[in-house]
Amino acid sequence: MMSEKSKQHVESCRFCWMCHHICPIGNATGLERNTARARALGLSLVNRNAIELSEVIDNVYECACCGACVHDCTTGWDPVMFTKEARLDAAMEGVLPEYINALVDNCLETGNAYGVTELDGALVSEIEKHADKKDVLLFLGVDARCKVPVAAVNAIKALEKANVEFSVLADEPASGWQLEYLISAANETKEQMEACAKVLNDYAKVVVFDPQDAKVLKREYKEWGVEVNAEVVTYTSYAAELLANGKLTAVNCGKEMTYQDPFQLARDLGETEEPRKVIAAYADLKEMLCNSGDTMWAGNLLMKEWMADVIVRVAQARIRNAKGVGADTIVTASVSEYASLKAVDQDEVKIVSIEELILGA
Amino acid sequence: MNEFLHAMILTELEDAVGKENCSVKQIDKVTHSVDYYWLSRMWADRGRRMPEADFVVAPKDAQETSKVLKIANYYKIPVTTWGAGGGTQGGAIPVCGGIILDTKRMNQIYEVNTDSMYIECGTGAIYKHIEWAANEVGKATMHYPSSLTCSTVGGFLAHRGIGVVSTKYGKIDDMVLQMEVVLPNGDIIYTSPAPKHAAGPDLNQIFIGSEGTLGVITKAQIRIYDQPEERRFRGFLFQDMSGAFKASRELLQKFKPSVMRLYDPAETASLIKKIVGVEKPGAFMNIAYEGCKEMVEVEEKILLETFAKYGAEDLGSEYGEKWWNEKITFFYPGHMMDIPQMFGTMDTIAPYDKIEKIYWAMKEAIETNFPQAKFIAHFSHWYEWGSMIYDRFIVDGKDVPEDPVEALRLHQEIWTCGVRAALANGGVVNDHHGVGIKLGRLMKEQYGPAMQVFEGIKKSLDPNGIMNPFKLGL
Repeated sequence: MMSEKSKQHVESCRFCWMCHHICPIGNATGLERNTARARALGLSLVNRNAIELSEVIDNVYECACCGACVHDCTTGWDPVMFTKEARLDAAMEGVLPEYINALVDNCLETGNAYGVTELDGALVSEIEKHADKKDVLLFLGVDARCKVPVAAVNAIKALEKANVEFSVLADEPASGWQLEYLISAANETKEQMEACAKVLNDYAKVVVFDPQDAKVLKREYKEWGVEVNAEVVTYTSYAAELLANGKLTAVNCGKEMTYQDPFQLARDLGETEEPRKVIAAYADLKEMLCNSGDTMWAGNLLMKEWMADVIVRVAQARIRNAKGVGADTIVTASVSEYASLKAVDQDEVKIVSIEELILGA
Repeated sequence: MNEFLHAMILTELEDAVGKENCSVKQIDKVTHSVDYYWLSRMWADRGRRMPEADFVVAPKDAQETSKVLKIANYYKIPVTTWGAGGGTQGGAIPVCGGIILDTKRMNQIYEVNTDSMYIECGTGAIYKHIEWAANEVGKATMHYPSSLTCSTVGGFLAHRGIGVVSTKYGKIDDMVLQMEVVLPNGDIIYTSPAPKHAAGPDLNQIFIGSEGTLGVITKAQIRIYDQPEERRFRGFLFQDMSGAFKASRELLQKFKPSVMRLYDPAETASLIKKIVGVEKPGAFMNIAYEGCKEMVEVEEKILLETFAKYGAEDLGSEYGEKWWNEKITFFYPGHMMDIPQMFGTMDTIAPYDKIEKIYWAMKEAIETNFPQAKFIAHFSHWYEWGSMIYDRFIVDGKDVPEDPVEALRLHQEIWTCGVRAALANGGVVNDHHGVGIKLGRLMKEQYGPAMQVFEGIKKSLDPNGIMNPFKLGL
């Protein structure tokens, strides 16, 4: 049953087209249903018993919840809010699509939506080097650990370069971002978050590699009363700090690079400058269309599980934006976007992660 | 349509555009059944389902569009072209079912040509995206309607759209070089390579404004312009509308501002007060002038001298700039009229010797016959010879029948009354929102025997009458 607040937003968005241009998925697919207004119209008809939730639920899962529409809305309507609430309703009513149910089950059974139970060998070796308990914990996140281990290894090595002492957990708990994305504020999500918080609270500082984790740790945990006593910092802001205090040294290579702001950092957490400071230390930063708070999402690994072809098109669009300003490299700060952009079959624009930049790639 | 035939046609359409670009899902049908037309919104608001298409297809180019139209012609099933659904006249609603042909896969930007100053693009491109493409090379499209972010190039062409800087740069029909069009029989044609010529009537202008009744425009070359060195604003307050008309007509004999918008006292006291902050009573007018800095200096001098002659109070640049920054805010939910209110924009256009009379006639017709309706207006697009009225009626939610059929009846009656008042006094059925299904019945009243020209073209190009039936009065 949708809340009155969400209903109000649905009623406002159902006949409003103004954010049509800004949806990365709508832009990639060209599908009318991939718009905030279409989603709202469908849900408004559900609220009026003119259509079943099960008939529109696939469309509810075609949203990245990137918040571009929310950010663009002059009057503050929030399609992400009602989209997430519809997901929670679908979970409660037992009308989740099968492909979502399977991912939720994986999250509950293995801690990650992909159902991965064994980590990459090279990553395991790197993690073992940091098994001792230190004040600082590097939190890698499920995408890096399960899907892009090379990114996880590089994240560790980049911090080693700064001679930072830190721990990495062999059995890192899930932050809950995947469940939060899939079924929103369900009890299972909160339970996963509480379990994670308990582990993090053994450390003074947690450096969060994946912006998807950082977003929930710094936002949803607070909103839902899940207490984290440790200081939570993003990997990018930590890297900027290491550069500022001289623990990392950089040489500008003189190349023109553009930056793909992850929406979780730029919009949800308001972090836009720290990654730019890091990039500016190593290269000449050239901004592309839709940057900072206006960023356009470049894809992720979780949605790739059920709409792989769309994720490729989303990433292709971002590569076109980079080419449009003549940048030959896109620097990413999100492992998920890194993997999505890398998966595009092209060789005109290089995709480099922040940690690769630090390591001199 | 029986289940067997439906399945047969579906396989043919899938073959034409690819399975993934052909849908019979409920969500796609619902999404393409409600556009910005008040009646479709009201219908959905009352929990009713609008007429839906049987198939939603998205061709990627003219060739695939051609295949779809050939299939539709063979089976004699209707085809309604859908851009982004931002139209106000119900032009994109598949009232007879059949095929929705969504153009947004045709969103390619093929060329940004800074020698001849145009962008060649698929007509499914969202206009804001071609503005971005122009901006990337330091240019601009200068087509800035409130629906810039939510309408396609083809949508604007289909109903002869217009933007806020039209007085200087023109309407969409002034902004096109060549077009690619797929005729109802599937033939792909090209209009002349240059828009000004003596090679017979202008093919562009036959298809621009045809609202998908004569074919599908699949590609267009859209003009781009240099960004102005300077754009300045000036707000004025007139004590009466007549003075504003005389001042504006005189100004336009001297130079063309980019923005000219005159708000009647009722709209000044409501929307302009709320969004721009003008508190004083009167008729607010915003003027923008732009281009080379030296020219702008001269134009400002002419503007101030001309408007002073007619007693306009100079409000400085602040309100004008605020208006420019907020020009789209007017249309967001919370600022714009919305259900449960009933509302409509009965825009019309006429020469200066008629326009003011039309304004008063429409105001009187609406307010006398429908005392529950409020009438507000502004005049937003100006020419050397005349102007248009963007006049709106608004009925409070408490006065709108809950029964959807009764609400439809009241809506139709108000529209008919208002537009007939415009026609009777020398106005046109619509200025820039198009006709759609909303005003189709009034086209014959507008054109009389001249309507046979449109009907003849329609019959010749679309003998089976499959293209967007019951729109444009055809």
